[in-house]
Amino acid sequence: MAGPSKTKGTIKFVVWTAIAAALISYLWIEYYNGTLVSWYYYKAKSDGWAVNANAFKDAGKDKPAILQIGSFDKIEGLQAVPVKKGDRLPANTNGIIDKKTVDEGKRVALDGNTLKVTVPMQVKEAKGFKFKDTFKHKGIQTSEWGGAWCVGFILVLGFALGMMAEGFTDMCGLKLTKIKHYEGVH
Amino acid sequence: MFDFIIAGVQAPIFLLVLTGMTVGMVGGFIGVGGGYMVTPALIVFGFPGYMASGIDVTHIAGKSVVATIRHRQLGNIDWVLGLAMVGGTMMGVEMGVRLLNYTKSIGLSGIALLTGSVGIMIGLFLYTQIETHRAQKKIQELSREGKTVGRELSTSNIPKFFQSISLFPIIRCHVARIVISMWVVVLVGIATGTLAGFFGVGGGFIRVPALVYMVGATTHIAVGTDLLEIVVSGGYGALRHFASGNVDIIAVFFMIIGAMFGAQFGSIATSFVRGPAIRYILSYSLILATVGAFLRLVYMLSAQKYEFLNFFAVVFTLGEMIFLCLFILSLVYFAVRHRHGKWVPAWIPSLVVVQ
Repeated sequence: MAGPSKTKGTIKFVVWTAIAAALISYLWIEYYNGTLVSWYYYKAKSDGWAVNANAFKDAGKDKPAILQIGSFDKIEGLQAVPVKKGDRLPANTNGIIDKKTVDEGKRVALDGNTLKVTVPMQVKEAKGFKFKDTFKHKGIQTSEWGGAWCVGFILVLGFALGMMAEGFTDMCGLKLTKIKHYEGVH
Repeated sequence: MFDFIIAGVQAPIFLLVLTGMTVGMVGGFIGVGGGYMVTPALIVFGFPGYMASGIDVTHIAGKSVVATIRHRQLGNIDWVLGLAMVGGTMMGVEMGVRLLNYTKSIGLSGIALLTGSVGIMIGLFLYTQIETHRAQKKIQELSREGKTVGRELSTSNIPKFFQSISLFPIIRCHVARIVISMWVVVLVGIATGTLAGFFGVGGGFIRVPALVYMVGATTHIAVGTDLLEIVVSGGYGALRHFASGNVDIIAVFFMIIGAMFGAQFGSIATSFVRGPAIRYILSYSLILATVGAFLRLVYMLSAQKYEFLNFFAVVFTLGEMIFLCLFILSLVYFAVRHRHGKWVPAWIPSLVVVQ
């Protein structure tokens, strides 16, 4: 099979590069305007308090973090918002401290209108690897439609990049022809 | 360092792109997703274990699309075979996950997983090595007799048995030139899918040998068809991981950018070699991954007392990616030299094609 013409290859490369660039720009914008992040931190999977775990990552038993409980639209610093399972999460949430953890009182304790965090991180192990287990991502329900959109996006992006690469080799005149699998003794 | 807002970690973009590129090259060449190499790498870069698995599976789905497009151009995909197998694979993956949950419920999962994977990988490694070595010798003999040797030569007789099962419906795979009962293909899909689901990997390293040694496809077609399968099974796995909140899409994006370059090279590199060369590299990837898994098994059995075993397991797994890339690069380098009539080591001519 003869290789495709360079002109066709150039058109293919330019078109698919433009599509790939548009897709990447769109992804970038959606990531930084917070849409993708809000799809990830979408709903509460359990009853508890929505928090931003980054705010108290350095807390300890000798230096507990005191989180102010309230119904904030956006969590800023040491704040916690009470949530029920299925509630939409306030902006800037990145984890839920569930009721069970608070009731146990080993890592977090309820003290009037505040939560006192003493153990923000534990070292755990999975598949032979040690990792830091924090309140980040805990009790978070991702948007299912958002998940499906992301998978679709990744497959479309893969397709665009694949076609762009194919256009590039065609444009360079690299004659990639079908392999003759059954020629000669086999 | 890039701040991954969703994953909540900071990691260098360069390392993600490089990992995507190396695994893309190996995956495009031997038809595997490379999950057993990427997940440990991501954990080393600071991603939590669950995120590492999710990012890995999602990037594999995207990367497989890139590689599949190139393999389609090279004529390495049998769509009938791939689509017939997909249903069985999905069913098998679900069965594997349930089996894993059962072993977990009886407190066995970690050790059962590692023992199982070590056993299967050693078995596959040994069979592939012995068979490929025989095939290579046969190619050398035929060349000495002055015969034109084809791109593929397999000495296994197992496919003849499976192809002789005449259970309705029979499918005709035109690209792979196979006439086989659909049930055989579906059952192979279920078996390989179960192992993939149980071990939590894409399953390419089991499916490619199965397509060659059970179904009877050539290695090139097995690689291309398997990548097509990975698009579907990886896409499904990615959906499940997204729903579980295990994926940072921007990390996936950087890995796919690297994988685009790697997968192109790996896929195109298959056009320079014969089937046995791909099988050799597949078997080496199996044994290297096995050593990593074995070190981790010993670490777990010794009640996690010897930290250095875990460290060496990670080093081994990461080193494997680099070793395999260098192996593929050297094969292509020698194939080009051989085409131009220049000196190459004696073992090269039987593994590469002149045109």
